[in-house]
Amino acid sequence: MSLRQLLLRLPGYFGASAPPRRLWWSPSLDTIFSVVSWRGQSSRSPAHWNQVVSEAEKIVGYPTSFMSLRCLLSDELSNIAMQVRKLVGTQHPLLTTARGLVHDSQNNLQLRGLVVLLISKAAGPSSVDASCQNYDMVSGIYSCQRSLAEITELIHTALLVHRGIVNLNELQSTDGPLKDMQFGNKIAILSGDFLLANACNGLALLQNTKVVELLASALMDLVQGVYHENSTSAKENRITDDIGISTWKEQTFLSHGALLAKSCQAAMELAKHDAEVQDMAFQYGKHMAMSHKINSDLQPFIKEKTSDSLTFNLNSAPVVLHQEFLGRDLWIKQIGEAQEKGRLDYAKLRETIKAGKGVTSAIDLCRYHGNKALEALESFPPSEARTALENIVFAVTRFS
Amino acid sequence: MASRWWRWRHGCSWKPEARSLGSGCPGRAGPSGPRAAAAAADVTRAQVSYFNLVKSLTSAFPIMYSISRFHHTTPAACCCSKTRSGERYTDPFKLGWRDLKGLYEDIRKELFISTTELKEMSEYYFDGKGKAFRPIIVVLMARACNIHHNNSRDVQASQRTIALIAEMIHTASLVHDDVIDHASSRRGKHTVNKIWGEKKAVLAGDLILSAASMALARTGNTTVISILTQVIEDLVRGEFLQLGSKENENERFAHYLEKTFKKTASLIANSCKAVSVLGCPDPVVHEIAYQYGRNVGIAFQLIDDVLDFTSCSDQMGKPTSADLKLGLATGPVLFACQQFPEMNAMIMRRFSLPGDVDRARQYVLQSDGVQQTTYLAQRYSHEAVREISKLRPSPEREALIQLSEIVLTRDK
Repeated sequence: MSLRQLLLRLPGYFGASAPPRRLWWSPSLDTIFSVVSWRGQSSRSPAHWNQVVSEAEKIVGYPTSFMSLRCLLSDELSNIAMQVRKLVGTQHPLLTTARGLVHDSQNNLQLRGLVVLLISKAAGPSSVDASCQNYDMVSGIYSCQRSLAEITELIHTALLVHRGIVNLNELQSTDGPLKDMQFGNKIAILSGDFLLANACNGLALLQNTKVVELLASALMDLVQGVYHENSTSAKENRITDDIGISTWKEQTFLSHGALLAKSCQAAMELAKHDAEVQDMAFQYGKHMAMSHKINSDLQPFIKEKTSDSLTFNLNSAPVVLHQEFLGRDLWIKQIGEAQEKGRLDYAKLRETIKAGKGVTSAIDLCRYHGNKALEALESFPPSEARTALENIVFAVTRFS
Repeated sequence: MASRWWRWRHGCSWKPEARSLGSGCPGRAGPSGPRAAAAAADVTRAQVSYFNLVKSLTSAFPIMYSISRFHHTTPAACCCSKTRSGERYTDPFKLGWRDLKGLYEDIRKELFISTTELKEMSEYYFDGKGKAFRPIIVVLMARACNIHHNNSRDVQASQRTIALIAEMIHTASLVHDDVIDHASSRRGKHTVNKIWGEKKAVLAGDLILSAASMALARTGNTTVISILTQVIEDLVRGEFLQLGSKENENERFAHYLEKTFKKTASLIANSCKAVSVLGCPDPVVHEIAYQYGRNVGIAFQLIDDVLDFTSCSDQMGKPTSADLKLGLATGPVLFACQQFPEMNAMIMRRFSLPGDVDRARQYVLQSDGVQQTTYLAQRYSHEAVREISKLRPSPEREALIQLSEIVLTRDK
């Protein structure tokens, strides 16, 4: 399975584009090598994204783990794993999600957790409030902040799993036996709830009610965001909703930005930073997540060689912008023209969109958010962690 | 306590009395005080006569909330204090509702989001038609604890919020359970998943849970947050316990009780504990509140399991034999299995073969499973009363005692 196919199957999954690194960042030997070798490689190779990430992981002390050890050793998890295995051979989406999560490859990133750790390190201890001096710190990050990073990933994963529930009355004969889908739904709900329960417990242990409130409100946002995604999911032959770009931004903030933004803010709260620092962290998280989402929406449109059968989401950024430029009626006409015998010809529609202004303005929007993220970072003191956060922004905003 | 009783009961061989069940629908599980009960040290004659009274009344009147029955039913076994407040007895539900006016409106405020359909789905069960059993217990416990502590007759705002949170957590778990069980009706109307589909129903459950968490965070009390997040974990673990099953008969019963605690009693126990923490600093009181909630919760679920066999579907608002159809072996089934070992095979295969559900139901009704489960529920209920009686007397304390008894005699 190609990288892109894997990415397209998991909604909201962080994509991979590979820009060069900023040259003035103090390069170690292997980074110089990768910069040099970059010229010979396609700029969209995943290797460079990985480089950015693995450097970042070194900075924060260890690769971000999937779940806490306690969670991994629990009976329920082995129970879940056993149950998910029963789904092998069925077509329930949970199987795909599970594979994506467990698959030990460069594609499995817990980017949110990594960003929370990086911003914790970049902010350092609070200069205002010295009460945190007694908390233990490893690699410049408090243990409560590490815990928060894990909790963020738990919440994200829980909703990823809950996104994979299937509506039983929409099943077709090609989807397989009803019993399998019912069982898959059951396990998906329980697994998601299990992850949420662990997240809630983790939050309680932080003993900080403001942080609990922030993350609970992020969860509420995320649920609404996923709801919108479901409602506007691209199905063949279904005309898209008439949403303008501002609505799109609101919904995307809910589904992608809120969790990261509020987690970053919460990380600052844990270290007792003041409201201004918290706000900057929030802004970074929000804009970085937005530009990341736009980047992943753009992938079907900027790659040179794409297979003709590759579909894309009709409610993604470039398409929404394209519609906004053209006006609703013309867009519907174009969709109609791209339909053959009732089936949507994605390749044809893609060309139509590329011929318009949607793609370029999406790239501009992505860079706009990237710049806002960088602006927010300026208020943090220079450090390796801050640079790593900048590199992440560069990674998602460069399109050759 | 129950496991000791179970082993003792298992050890004695005795035959159940023949019982005549009521007309029409299979009779209510009015306890007849099995012979074995006479041997148990703490059953007093007052209790036995109470049981007979209840049995005759409940078969005549299906409505359970009338107050007249309960004027003289405080069991003799629990009287620690002879003094009563000057106020006359009132219906515990009426007493509790004084503090819960606007409960559902307030819950709907917590669910205030812009997405119309999602909001509609989330508000669906907060229409005022539920029993609100948990919030009632919570506010009554709040007052009882406040009075015990410093004779304060007020309910704190944060305590009332706990009532909301308890109801929200409960509802969120119901929404998810209905999807898991592919239920099509609840409380006399269609389930959320039936109307809007499974995908959205799961999201609605998540939304209610997140709103409950926000309300919880706003109490500003980290102890209370820890207590109630434990509930969320227990609810999920309870569902997982239900997924698995045990082969050994003795283990099965312990497994059943543990699942019952996690799925039902934990919420009540911990909500009671949370309000007691907010109202009173004494850990002895917190423990009393917790034990009351735990015992009432278990009794409540045991009777619920009994009603699944004994009531008709139009009374319950949801279809009966539901547990068997889901492959679950509850109290009555586990007891019946002792008399009819042929049920073991059916239990192991979770009643999956055609005809299993009906056969199992027949076995249960022929056995003393229902009576035994009811008797066990009574034991838990009396334990709850014993605990709560340790608090200073008040109308709310009496109301909680009454509630503990109502749990046994409800018919829906």
